[in-house]
Amino acid sequence: MSYFSIFFQYAGQYLKTRLTYRADMAVEIFSDLLFQAVNLIFILVVFGHTSLLKGWSKDEMVFIYGFFLVPFAIFGAFFNIWDFTDRYIVKGEMDRILTRPIHSLFQIILERMELESLFGVVTGLAIMFYAGNNLGLSLHWYDPFIFLILVAGGALVYAGIFVTLASIGFWSDSRTDIMPMMYNIGNYGRYPVDIYNRIIRYVLTWILPFAFVGVYPAAYFLGREEWYIYAFITPLIGVIFFAISVFLWNIGVTKYRGAGN
Amino acid sequence: MDYIIDVKDLRKEFTSHSSRSGLKGAFRDLFTRNYTIKTAVDDISLQIRKGEMVGYIGENGAGKSTTIKMLTGILTPTSGEVRVNGMNPHKDREKFVRSIGVVFGQRSQLWWDIAVQESFRLLKKVYNVPDEFYNTHMADVIKTLAIEPLLDKPVRKLSLGQRMRCELAAALIHNPPLLFLDEPTIGLDVLVKLKIREFLKEINAKYGTTILLTTHDLSDIEALCERVIMLDEGKIIYDGALQQLRENWGEGKQIQFLFTEDVFMNELQELTKEHLVVWEQGTNASTWTASVENDEEIISAVIGKVVAAKRIADLKIVEITTEEIIRNIYEEGAVRNG
Repeated sequence: MSYFSIFFQYAGQYLKTRLTYRADMAVEIFSDLLFQAVNLIFILVVFGHTSLLKGWSKDEMVFIYGFFLVPFAIFGAFFNIWDFTDRYIVKGEMDRILTRPIHSLFQIILERMELESLFGVVTGLAIMFYAGNNLGLSLHWYDPFIFLILVAGGALVYAGIFVTLASIGFWSDSRTDIMPMMYNIGNYGRYPVDIYNRIIRYVLTWILPFAFVGVYPAAYFLGREEWYIYAFITPLIGVIFFAISVFLWNIGVTKYRGAGN
Repeated sequence: MDYIIDVKDLRKEFTSHSSRSGLKGAFRDLFTRNYTIKTAVDDISLQIRKGEMVGYIGENGAGKSTTIKMLTGILTPTSGEVRVNGMNPHKDREKFVRSIGVVFGQRSQLWWDIAVQESFRLLKKVYNVPDEFYNTHMADVIKTLAIEPLLDKPVRKLSLGQRMRCELAAALIHNPPLLFLDEPTIGLDVLVKLKIREFLKEINAKYGTTILLTTHDLSDIEALCERVIMLDEGKIIYDGALQQLRENWGEGKQIQFLFTEDVFMNELQELTKEHLVVWEQGTNASTWTASVENDEEIISAVIGKVVAAKRIADLKIVEITTEEIIRNIYEEGAVRNG
């Protein structure tokens, strides 16, 4: 309960500061939009040459991309931990975090949130409605609730993978390029996994389960029954991966060495 | 148990790998690494009672910060027992840190971009301090530290002295019974230092706040602490009253002579051979310092003899400062008893 009220206090403070730098915020939202547009154009260009890709139509692909944007936006808004090692371990900011009576990961989420990324939710929904309309998809009364649960699962998958990577920083503070690489791999989840080779499909499902952020949950709304089982275990995978990452994080905190001063 | 800090055989080791030289060495490092274990804190034990103000001193790298970080729950000890406020700092971290306040001189607790009072408000929420208590208690702290006019300024626009006062206030929002201060006066001017010392004395008297202070500035310790703990290479080499330290070590006086011409060591030694005098040359051959016992007769006799034989331009009698005492202790590496 108090974590909720602390969250809103921080969010309020965040908005207050951001609104004083309105230009920055506009630029950020604009660059996000541009990034999303480029990705969408890529899909459209591919389908300029073919009408079906392993049985997936253009509108289905666009729909999956739209779905992917929603959990990705939520992840981006709250888990800005790609520079965790540099900012908190090397510079020793973790010292300060650890002298406060809130879970350290939660504090970092609060400090690093970037609420303007949530704008991606709007874009994602718009793309889904557009593509869904073309496909003639119909909504059941319970679909919005399932949507929320699947989105939460997808965001947790992302968060779990990146928190795990950030935890490595507690053991080794040397620079690695794993984070940007992982952002790239994450993008594979927004295309249907059956277009990939079997090994990649396996990796994207069970090792780095990015497929649970895009294609699997979206398959439910596209009525692709062969993928339903994957769609329904999305929340489970999300919770498991996130729980593992928090567990690793907690061990990592006991290994924290502090920055020498 | 009435100790607020109770530490037994506390030890912290850091392992680091040393890299071999050259390209060949770098290749070998890939497969086998040379690990070296550095002991930052070497089996120390100490107890601090409620309401004490203790100075924790030592040279750079002596293990001060590492100890403080273990006492505040930031680092996990390699071995040993720590009880602070009746809790194990690392195990019960989130509960434990509610009972302490921390100020790191080189690291800010406040948010850089937002007004000081907004920072306070966030911290109030984080520590879950009730409104009523916050209003009366913080009004008092703000008044004593004279930071009222700074409250609506963002932290980045404050001077170091102003910021430090705000940091102190921030550390006291939840009125902790134990306060850790790591170099709180580093880089501050004399007036701000005095103000901060006054304030620390005040909260110590008013709330019985226990304070553990590390500093390079011994005048802080002299002004505040009755007890000092000295650390060298991870070991405690002195734990006791500051007064005692002065009595054991600072018993002598120094007489500084400035002669009108160059003089030699053997001449001076010849002049004062009846007394126990240690002569030391100053910056050049005409300035000399005589260290003698603190006895009026000896001091007078030494001055009389020297002045009768040599012409002097200046003369000064000084007491040995705490700083010199500490330096002497570090040079000898241990504290002599009695």
